[in-house]
Amino acid sequence: MADLLQELEAQIEDIRSSISKQNVGVIREVGDGVARVEGLSDAMLNEMLDLGHGVTGLALNLEENEVGVIVLGDYTQLEEGDEVRTTGKLLQVPVGMGLLGRAVNTLGEPVDGKGPIKSDVAYPVEKLAPGIIRRRQVNQPVQTGIMAIDAMIPIGRGQRELIIGDRSTGKTTICIDTIISQAKLNRAAEAAANKDYRPLYSIYVAIGQKQSNIARIISVLEEAGAMPYTIIVASPASDSAANQYLAPFAGAAMGEWFMDNGMDALIIYDDLSKHAVAYRQVSLVLKRPSGREAYPGDVFYLHSRLLERAARVGEKYGNGSVTALPIIETQAGDVSAYIPTNVISITDGQIYLETDLFYQGMRPAISVGLSVSRVGSAAQLKAMKQVAGQLKGDLAQFRELAAFAQFGSELDAKTQAQIDRGKRIMELFKQAQYNPIPVEIQVVVLWTIQNGYLDDVPVERVKEFQRKLTEALSTRKPDLLQKIVMEKSLSPELTVEVKAAADRFKETWR
Amino acid sequence: MNTPRQIRRQAKRLLHWCTMGGQLSEERVRLAVQRIRESHRRGYLSLLVEFQRLVKLEIAARTAAVESAFVLPDDLRTRTRESVEKVYGPRTITKFRERPDLIGGMRIQVGCDVYDGSVRSRLALLEHSLAIASTREAVPR
Repeated sequence: MADLLQELEAQIEDIRSSISKQNVGVIREVGDGVARVEGLSDAMLNEMLDLGHGVTGLALNLEENEVGVIVLGDYTQLEEGDEVRTTGKLLQVPVGMGLLGRAVNTLGEPVDGKGPIKSDVAYPVEKLAPGIIRRRQVNQPVQTGIMAIDAMIPIGRGQRELIIGDRSTGKTTICIDTIISQAKLNRAAEAAANKDYRPLYSIYVAIGQKQSNIARIISVLEEAGAMPYTIIVASPASDSAANQYLAPFAGAAMGEWFMDNGMDALIIYDDLSKHAVAYRQVSLVLKRPSGREAYPGDVFYLHSRLLERAARVGEKYGNGSVTALPIIETQAGDVSAYIPTNVISITDGQIYLETDLFYQGMRPAISVGLSVSRVGSAAQLKAMKQVAGQLKGDLAQFRELAAFAQFGSELDAKTQAQIDRGKRIMELFKQAQYNPIPVEIQVVVLWTIQNGYLDDVPVERVKEFQRKLTEALSTRKPDLLQKIVMEKSLSPELTVEVKAAADRFKETWR
Repeated sequence: MNTPRQIRRQAKRLLHWCTMGGQLSEERVRLAVQRIRESHRRGYLSLLVEFQRLVKLEIAARTAAVESAFVLPDDLRTRTRESVEKVYGPRTITKFRERPDLIGGMRIQVGCDVYDGSVRSRLALLEHSLAIASTREAVPR
């Protein structure tokens, strides 16, 4: 009780102390989540405005006599003639470890019914990306647990890798797998008290998604035990366009806190196509000039300033990182549309998912030919490089030869062998959802296929071979797997051990 | 056809013409309105509405609205007028008004600037700061 009285006294004293000058305006027009306010001569760009009735707005258009404001809340309560005040604060969201395991909205307010967020730090939603002095090269891997990605399109901490594809091709699944993989690695490192391992915290930003989808993702993450390492920023389809436009920036601010404090974060923007649409809506109601496909002229800058905030900073600045996995949904595989080409050019590579592959049963439906990682190979584990170095080339050859073989012409033995190897690699890359594979297992499995252990295994039994091999390694050779994790490369001695383990398994496998 | 942008531009030009030596000339404003009405040019009504808006803003920027819960004594009025003129220039018009809902204290508005020392605003501020902790938690959806 005494504390309460002291707090009350402090609050009153604070108010009593001075009369401050305030800048006000009057609402002239309101509708579609946007208000036009006359006055507010001192308003800053992106400043939070108090619109009364407990509603907050954000100053987006500063004109000579009026300000265009996007309303972050219920704009139906507002009326023409209501007074609007500047707050002197830029839009900010709570950040910190207290957000882990929680689902919040664009303003960082909890939407999961688990009580208030424990956070005493707030970051501005719009922040300049780290400059060139602060940055360092991407050189640490993000293990997605998806063999096709870790082997051929590796992602590094601090990278921006676009995931692009048509609707229902498994874009979100790849991201959820990655989050689950990080949670497993984090938990394993905690259990082993491994101080060298840098945990990777995940932030999933849902923009314009169905509420049911977001709820399903949260339940999947909870079932997989990944929620304690994950923050969900939800701006579902029922949210206003203004909230949807701000959601990824709020997520980026939360990720930046981890980076600034020497930790690593992974942020998923699901998806930036809907984000661009939300921004287009906001811009049109603000009467900004529109350009191609009615998007405003700064839609490129919108995404470039967001994705530039993903970075890996130098030792002097804490050695933290923010990795971004933006998602773009294409229409009928058209990657040359406006928003996809913009985001492709901003990111450091893309994972392209094909509908045809998906319906052929190749899941994840990654198109190896169109997918690329521009900086991730520097971050790939040496052991993975040793076993997967040739894979992309082999698969490219396989696709070419397979297309040729369709015509039914006779093939020489070498060509046939290449096609057979390709089929087995493709089979190996099929992977069930929410089932990430540890990198050490990936290394051994890829080593076996590169060294011909699967050449006599029928294609339809390749997955069975892989499953049994994984079981055998996990139960009988955990020390070998541990050595691969620790050494991070396949030394000649380790290769001998891997060979011995593979030989032994092959003898027993029927 | 005059677009809203053209109307705004014309109204601004008109206001500029009505401003002499940094001061709005009432005579010129009246003359301008009379001429526009007589001209019956296309979109003249929209132009007048926009012009009125700009004149209103201009007058508001030059007028200090002093509101208090009770009638202010003459010496306090003089002191207030002097203080306002010191900050916003000698040409500022000071107008006094009673507003009992302020409960006590004084509220001065010059254009967009507000100096609110009323009891009502302090109570609102207190209410807001005490409510912050409880509003951190949004209603679960």
